Parts: sequence; structure tokens; C-alpha cells
Amino acid sequence: MRIKLEQRHASSLLWQGMSYGLAILAGFAATAVLLKLSSADVSTAFAALLRGAFGSQRAVLRTLVDATPLILTGLAALVVFRARIWSIGQEGQVYAGAMGAYWVASSLPDAPLFVVGPLAMAGAILGGATMSGIAAVLRNRYEVNEIFSTVMLNYIVVYLLSWLLSGGPWTEAGTTVAYHQTPLLAQSAWLPQLSGPLHAGLLIAIAAAISVHLLLERTSAGYDMRALGANQTALRFMGMDVPRIVLVTMLLSGALAGLAGGVELLGVQHRLKADYLFGLGYGGIIVAMVGGLRPAGTVAVAILFGGLSSGAVDMRIQSGVPDSLIQAMQGTILLFVLCGTALARYRLTWSSAK
Amino acid sequence: MTVALQASGLSKRYGDVVALDDVSLEIHAGEIHCLFGENGAGKSTLSGCLYGYVQPDSGELAIDVKPVKLRSPAEALRFGIGMIHQHFKLVGRLSVIENVLVGAGGRGLFLDTKTARRRLAELCSDYGVELSPDAIVEELPVGLQQWVEIIKVLFLGVRILILDEPTAVLTPQESDRLMAALERMRDAGMAIVLISHKLREVMRSDRVTVLRAGKLVASLRTAETSPEELSVLMVGRKVSPSYDHNREAPGEIVLDLNDVYVNGERGHRVLDGLSIQVRSHEIVGLAGVAGNGQRELFETIMRVRPLEAGRISIDGKDVTASSTRDVIDLGVGHIPDDRYLQGLIGSFTIADNIVLGRHHDCAFRKGPFLDRKAISSFATDRMSEYRVAARDSAARVDRLSGGNAQKVILARELQRSTSLLLANQPTRGLDVGVIDYVYRQLLAKKSEGFGILLASEELDDLMTLCDRIAVIHRGKIVGVVEPAATTPQHLGLMMAGQAIPGGDARAH
Repeated sequence: MRIKLEQRHASSLLWQGMSYGLAILAGFAATAVLLKLSSADVSTAFAALLRGAFGSQRAVLRTLVDATPLILTGLAALVVFRARIWSIGQEGQVYAGAMGAYWVASSLPDAPLFVVGPLAMAGAILGGATMSGIAAVLRNRYEVNEIFSTVMLNYIVVYLLSWLLSGGPWTEAGTTVAYHQTPLLAQSAWLPQLSGPLHAGLLIAIAAAISVHLLLERTSAGYDMRALGANQTALRFMGMDVPRIVLVTMLLSGALAGLAGGVELLGVQHRLKADYLFGLGYGGIIVAMVGGLRPAGTVAVAILFGGLSSGAVDMRIQSGVPDSLIQAMQGTILLFVLCGTALARYRLTWSSAK
Repeated sequence: MTVALQASGLSKRYGDVVALDDVSLEIHAGEIHCLFGENGAGKSTLSGCLYGYVQPDSGELAIDVKPVKLRSPAEALRFGIGMIHQHFKLVGRLSVIENVLVGAGGRGLFLDTKTARRRLAELCSDYGVELSPDAIVEELPVGLQQWVEIIKVLFLGVRILILDEPTAVLTPQESDRLMAALERMRDAGMAIVLISHKLREVMRSDRVTVLRAGKLVASLRTAETSPEELSVLMVGRKVSPSYDHNREAPGEIVLDLNDVYVNGERGHRVLDGLSIQVRSHEIVGLAGVAGNGQRELFETIMRVRPLEAGRISIDGKDVTASSTRDVIDLGVGHIPDDRYLQGLIGSFTIADNIVLGRHHDCAFRKGPFLDRKAISSFATDRMSEYRVAARDSAARVDRLSGGNAQKVILARELQRSTSLLLANQPTRGLDVGVIDYVYRQLLAKKSEGFGILLASEELDDLMTLCDRIAVIHRGKIVGVVEPAATTPQHLGLMMAGQAIPGGDARAH
């Protein structure tokens, strides 16, 4: 028996959708095995997960709250990956965005929301874009591979924040250093609530998704980014300014990731603490990949993953499964989706050897 | 005469495309059998089936009248079938003998180099090749690298040798030597399958099989046919190559390269003090064996590649320090040798490719948004003007045939250039009909007053189109001749590096 991979010449949209669905199911199945191994009751755990994610109005709202920053970091990853720029700096850019927003909001404690809100978001954008801008300049000027520069910048920002919060200027006064957090921001800087825990950040994220879609598919700047991803050499031969396109794309990506940090700060946490932001950037990479590097897919997957993380709390309470299992589950889903894309592009053929 | 390899009823589809349609043929021992046809006619698919790396959808193979199934090249090799690809499968850093032994696969831990060296020396003297077993392969000229590839296969004792366009990388003299060696192999009883679209080589074979659109059109004894009959069989109609040559006096200098030095990626010299001039109303040919600096020359003129020293001016304007965009804005069109790498974005539509580089122009934009309507109507006009055959302007470029892809590039580059055209291998991989079309387009541009720099590995292109032919060797122009006053043999000697005294590319 011989098994061979053959390239498919036309892969239908239906087949692609099916392979994605199959991949997500396979991710759940693999997680079931993990649950079994940690001797939890699989059906109780999954039921709790589902209820916690989508089981009630409150659960749905919590899911959307968790999805909001993932939509933005997912879009940030999508933009660079579509241009084949392998920036994985979204994690650091989220931190930098939250820091930018905090700096603006804490400097204007008495300003009304319509002043401090937009300014803080601008601070978030600036924070994220600065980080990605540095990586872009390093790539354009000194040919530094963006994978290395963005990973290193992630460390720098994370440790910068950790210094600021543990004895640095932003440490909450009067508490022990062990909390590693800033004081709460004035209520005037909080994003308005839409319903229950759901805040206006979701609208920002949805608007960003629509804008990214229009930008990529309909504008000449988006043409540049897609063309950069498809064939950089041809762009150079056509006299396009490739370094400029790289810079613009990375600035946009950093701005989106920074916005995620700002939205999370002003919408949910209202104070700066490293734990709150951890994993949003890396999560965005998974969301964008599983979402097929499309804005609509990214939003859908962000909501799915938001559901997983908000349902994880119920799962832990009702079946004692640690919620870190959810991260393992997200990881397995990504692996299966990557296999699924291979399945959509290739087919297995069997032949019996004589 | 014994049948070495027999194929019957081979068919292969790729999606909607029928690559091979019920093809049957016999390869005899002691015969040079030529597979002849246009690009896309099915030659490569057929040879892939014979060598085991393409699995036919239906049909059978038989070796020495015994039915076999070839599932991989390794199996084909076990049955005594070897293949020489256009792109060599050699390990550049290793020596000749090591490459030969890599193919042979060692028994036990140690390579038996002593016997291998003896065999290698025998094979070399049999075919009159001078090949030192310890030479490092990447340091050998292309012609000798090909011999390493051939000897590697002979070493395994193959009886059937398939060669895929082996002369594409050779000078005319090297090609002659290769053909003579193939004839000796034939006389020793081997079966040789030669894939080619060059009539000159085809006429030296014993039998020729003509393929067209995946079908076997004819299988003939070469002695009983003629080049004329074969070319009619290949394209399915008669082509009459006669071109109006407007031999006007050349005008102003539009392109002037003066003592240009350029380095390659690994820091070695690729253009070594090259000077050349092109005037308006003139086509200057660039003849040379692939890899002698042609591609780098075009990249340098397009200002994609930095100069070490020297000066370039276009239309009297110094562009040595200019950007690619400046050069394009001066009215320069560029037809690159690697269409899908330098000229097109494969996953984009025809329309997007036709406006590539101009998609920021006001004509194609409404504010920040692309004006899809304007773009597609512009593209549709260009498609009918340049006879691009496709469903509509929204078809993806990487689904087009080579000829149509080239026409998309022509539609973009000819339409917007105004004074100078740089064409690197513009007929590569195209069939006779499209080549004819490209010829006419270039000649029309010439009579409009363009200066054209045309590099081609097909000497026919240069002899037909050019007013002057400059020969490039190791990044230098080694001589300039007029087509009427030269022969392919003479050009071949120059391409091999024999400087002709007084050779100079400047306009006289």
C-alpha cells in the first residue's frame, strides 16, 4: 500500500469550508482525549464550556468582550501576513498600545470621555505603531529580519511595562509592590457599556474589520499590500517603492494591535496590569491563520476563541479542568486547520503495490 | 530493430486540461527518437510518464515487451531509464566523482572510488569529454555540468536516455558535440529520447514524433520528412515567416551604457566594464550563453540592481543615480525573461496586471479606492488590442498559457513605453504563432522610432530582427556584428569567449 499526496487542481469553496469545519471538530476531539487523560468527565466539561460560551445572554456578551481584542490583534496579524511580512510583534504592540492609552488617560484625569476617549485611542495606535515602525525601519534600512526584531521588541516592551509597574513611576501608590499594577483610571476615561459587560470596543473592532476588508480589496494602498505578498520582485520591477509599502503595512498592523491594547484597557480592565494583556497578540496570530487571513473569517474565529476563553471559566468551576487546557485546545485547532488547508489543496491517493 | 520502450494509450488530465490524449509510441533501441512540438503540446507530460514522475490516468507502458508500471523515477532507473532535465540535479559543492557516486548510491559505508574513477575515465574517453573527477561541479561551465549529469546516468547503466531540451543552455558548438555523443550512444545500442523544439536538432534524429495539444499527430522517419513538413505538423497550419524590415538610418542614442561594472549577490563581478549603445529606429541584439550577465544587464538598466562603477543614460539623461520609477517614467518598457517572477503577479487578475505600477494613477482611482470599472474597461481594450485570449479581464494570470501571459506583459509594457524597449528572451517557451506575433510587435515599435535591446538565446530571433548583434561573454561585450555578415557558427565562437578584434558595441 502506498499513500501519496497529489495536488488538487481546483479546490471548491465547499470543500475548503468542510475541511475547516472538520479541522475544528478534530480540535475538539483531541481536546476530549486530553480531558479524558486528566480524568475529567468529558461531557460535563464540554457542556459547561458550551454553556459558559454561548448558553445565555450574559455568556454571549462575555464571549463578545473576550473576542473584541482578538478581532483587533487578528486583523493586525492578517494585514502583515497577507503582505508576507512575518511580523509576530502583535504581543508587544498590544502592551505598547495599552501603555500609550494609559499614559494619555492618566494625564487627563478630569477631561470628559469625548476628549479623553479619542485621545487615548490615538495614544494606543501610536504606541503599537511605534513598535511595528521600529521593526519596519530595521528591515528597510538594515535588512534585519522582522521575525527576530519583532520577537526581541516583544521582550523589551513586556519588561519595560514590568519595570514601570514594579517600583517604576506607574506603580499604584500605597499598595505593596507585589500587585504590579497601576491605580484605576478615572471613570470618565472608561469606554461606555453597550449592554452588561459589553463595551463600545466591540464596535471599534467591527469597524476596523470592515475597514481592513475595504482597504485590502478596494483601495490602491491595499493593492500594494496584496501585491507585496504575492510577488515582491514584480513590484520592484514596476518601480514601486517596496520599503514604503512595508512601512505602511507594518504601521497599520501595529496600530491595530495597539488599538487592541487600548480597547482592553479602557473597556475592561481600567487599569494596567501585565497579566490582563498576556497572550492577546499571539492569540491574534492563531485567529488570523484559522480565519484564512480574511477579515470576516478572523471575526468569526475571534468570536469562537472568545467563547472558548469565557467558557473556560465555567468549565473549570464545574469540572475542575484547568483553563490553561483551553490554550492547548486553541493550539490543537490551529494545527488541525493547518492540516486542513493542506487537505483542501492536496488529496491523498492510495495505490496497492505489487 | 528491437522495441526498448512501448507506450500505449497514455492519457493524462490536469483538471480541465487534457495534457495527453491517447498517445501510443514505440522507442527502439539504437535510435534517436525526437519528441517535437510546441510548448504545452504534451512533450513534458509524456516524458514524465516514461520516467515515472507523472502517473498517467490510463494507458500502459512496456519495457522489452514486458508490461511495467513506473511509480517513481527510482523505479524507472531500475528498469534502465535515465533522464537529463533542463535544470540539473547536481550538488554544486561536491566534486564530479562525488556527484556520480551520489547517483549510484554506495554499498556499505565506504564509497568505492577506485573502480568508480576507472569507469568515469572510460566513459569520458568513450565520448570525448574532458572531465576531471576532482573538479568542483559548480566551478565547471554549464556545458560540462550537463556532461556530469549525463555521465551520472550512464554510470548507472541506463539503456534508455531521455533528454529534456538539452541544448537550451549550450552554444552551437557545444550542441554539435552533444549531438555527436548522442549518436555514438545510439550506435552502441542505446535508445535516446530527445525532447526539442529546434528543427535543426530534430533533423539529426532517426525518428520524430510530433505532438500537438496532447495528441500524437505523426510519428515519422526523419529521413522521409522535411523541416517544412514538421513545422506545419507542429502548428497545424502553415506559417510564413517574412518580415518587413524597415532599414531606416538609426537616429538619436536612446540608451548609453558606459564602462558599467556590477557585482552579483555573492560579490562576484557579473558585468565587467560593459559598454553598449542603442539608437532609435534600431534593434540591437544581445547574443550569449545563459548566465553571462544578460539578466543582470537588464536589471541594471531598470535600476533594480546597483552599479559599482560606470554610467547609464537614457534619452540623454543620466540615470545612474535614478530609481526604477524614474526609468519607467522616461518611457522605458521592460519584457523580463522570467515572466512570472519579474513581470506578473500570478494570483492577480489580467486587469490588475495590466495596470500594475500605474494603479495609483488618477485615471484608475476614485479617491483612495480603485476605480474597478475604469480598470476593467482599460484592460479589456488592451486585451483585444494585443489579442490576449482569455474569458475576461477578471481571469487570473497564472491560469493563462505562456503565450497569453507574455501578451499581457506586452500589452502593459508596449502600451506605456515611448522610447526604449528592453526585451530579455521575449520568445522563450512560446509557440511559433506567438513568436511571430512578438516579432511583428517589436518591428512595429522599431519603425515607430523606438530603440530596442533584445537578448535571446535563440539565434534565429537575433538573425531575423536585429540591425546589430552584440555578443556578451562573462559580463563583457566581446564583439558586435551585423546579421548579414555573420553565421551562427561565427556567433557561437564569440559566445564561447573568443574575442573578435575590433569588436565594439558603440554605434558607428
